[in-house]
Amino acid sequence: MHVIVATDGSRPSLAAAKQLKAFADPAKITEISVVAVIRPLASVAFADDLSEGKLDGSFRDAAQSALDTIAAVYDGWGPKVSKRIRSGSAANEIIKAARQYDAGLVVVAAGGRGLSDTVLLGSTAQRVQHSAPCPVLVVRPAPRAPKAPRTRTKA
Amino acid sequence: MSTATSDTTAEPEQDGELKRSITGRLLFFYTLGDVLGSGIYVLIGLVAAAVGGAFWIAFALGVTVAAITGAAYAELVTKYPRAAGASLYVNKAFGSRPLTFLITVSFLAASMAASGSLAVGFASYFDTLWSGPPALLISLVFVALLVVVNFIGITESVWMNMLMTFVEVGGLLIVLIIGIVFIGQGDADFGVLTQIDTSGDYGSPALAVLAGISFSFFAMTGFENTANVAEETIDPFKAFPRSLVGGMIVAGVVYVLVSMAAALTVPTETLANSDAALLEVVEAGILPVSTSFMSTLFSVIALIAITNTTLVTIVTQPRVLYGMAREDVVPGVFAKVHPTRRSPWVGLIFSGVVVGSLLVIGTLVTEAGGGIDLVGRLATVTVVLLLAIYALVIVACLKLRGQDEDQPFFRANTPLLLVGLVGNVAILAFTVYDDPHSLIWCAGLLGVGFVLFLAEYLFGSSGTGSRTPDLDSSSTEV
Repeated sequence: MHVIVATDGSRPSLAAAKQLKAFADPAKITEISVVAVIRPLASVAFADDLSEGKLDGSFRDAAQSALDTIAAVYDGWGPKVSKRIRSGSAANEIIKAARQYDAGLVVVAAGGRGLSDTVLLGSTAQRVQHSAPCPVLVVRPAPRAPKAPRTRTKA
Repeated sequence: MSTATSDTTAEPEQDGELKRSITGRLLFFYTLGDVLGSGIYVLIGLVAAAVGGAFWIAFALGVTVAAITGAAYAELVTKYPRAAGASLYVNKAFGSRPLTFLITVSFLAASMAASGSLAVGFASYFDTLWSGPPALLISLVFVALLVVVNFIGITESVWMNMLMTFVEVGGLLIVLIIGIVFIGQGDADFGVLTQIDTSGDYGSPALAVLAGISFSFFAMTGFENTANVAEETIDPFKAFPRSLVGGMIVAGVVYVLVSMAAALTVPTETLANSDAALLEVVEAGILPVSTSFMSTLFSVIALIAITNTTLVTIVTQPRVLYGMAREDVVPGVFAKVHPTRRSPWVGLIFSGVVVGSLLVIGTLVTEAGGGIDLVGRLATVTVVLLLAIYALVIVACLKLRGQDEDQPFFRANTPLLLVGLVGNVAILAFTVYDDPHSLIWCAGLLGVGFVLFLAEYLFGSSGTGSRTPDLDSSSTEV
């Protein structure tokens, strides 16, 4: 089975990558494609929160370093890992990649928690699970720790 | 397959065409849309006032200087396909951190002033549709909406960008058709196209034309934003020269024809005294269509055109701030992106607040009898800052000759670049001479950058604020 692990350079996407490793059987996975999508017309075409690196005006370098960080999660795990950078709209490109590589599973993170997630429609995870040609693992962020002085919405 | 000994090599994959998404055609429309929307809808009246009936000459000469500058950008973009644009080229050429910082801040300031000018222009056209709300409110709401739209990410659709560009060109085609019909009716007095008004502030024809170029130059700007998508352009070596310079040339032809049509159909004084000058052409009642319908349609088109260009400027500002924050030059909060939307929301809000403040201060100064035209003033600020950047980019282009030439790159014609350099400097000198007060506004906007730099210098910690993640932890705590 070919698994696609999508990253937008965010910490939740790293958590999602680890989630796959936490339960899946590496013997049943033939290949993992870590996919990063650059959005050319966005303010920040790709933001890599996973490393400390400076931005030399190259969002491709940022995407590459995010891919490296995610791919490193699967070091020594078993399946072949390939890193792929695509360009365009995030959800579209993930769905296209799933078709193209004949993926058996797509792993995405469901982004943040809180108001913006509820109010603003059209998040990438939603669109992917809506149109992907295969099962989708949507990794939700962990609920906020109880010490946080903020009322919690139900999980 | 039973053991975990199989390879984990991760070779970077060459997907060829798949890897990049901006085609030459998209780039062409991106250039055209960005250039066409900034200015001609807003500034044509000012240019007509300065030059007289022959103001098309100002547009022709201005766009020539801009297209040559575009050729320098095309050369540098094909050598250094990065989103950082002028800052990167100047850094490569001169290697001076203070100069790079100054250029980056100038670019940011120019972009903010441009957003302000366009927002005021938006309010002028909006006023022709519904004159109820005060102009300041409209322009503030306009900027706030664009910030929200940007945050959500709607602006990222290349098709939307293309559609809006078609609408922009359509609006200018209406003006052209009116001109052609008017000529067909035999009422056109072509003499007006050679009239240069020397009775006003500018005693000689050359000065009057130079003033016209200076005022119209805002309409030529915007092409520098194409560097944003340099990295994502397929075959940039071919696409950039064609699309960038080609887009400028098409824009130039459209500008000249539209200026001629406007000059022929409407008295120059009427254009000069109008806030929404192209609307006067449509309202001259030349087409056999209801004037009120046409003027409504045209206003809507003008609003879309202005929106298209303003969107690009508002996309650019947080990106510049993001880059600077990653370089530790401004506070790290500007490197924060929203966890779901991946938008640099702090930078976006900051840009919105600065542009909003410009609008409020400008309106207060105008009402206090400051005797300024806010659209013109902010456009002048943009032009002063951008002309300085353009001139430096051409110098950088010449200085970087012979370096980093292992990849195929587009080589701009050297004598033309020198002409462009002289042109940029001449327009800059005239603009500053003509409106020295604009320097105060430039300094004020540059001050914003220096305040941020000081904030980082005094209070910032080293690092971008983004910790290196712990790969062994499986916690999702952000």
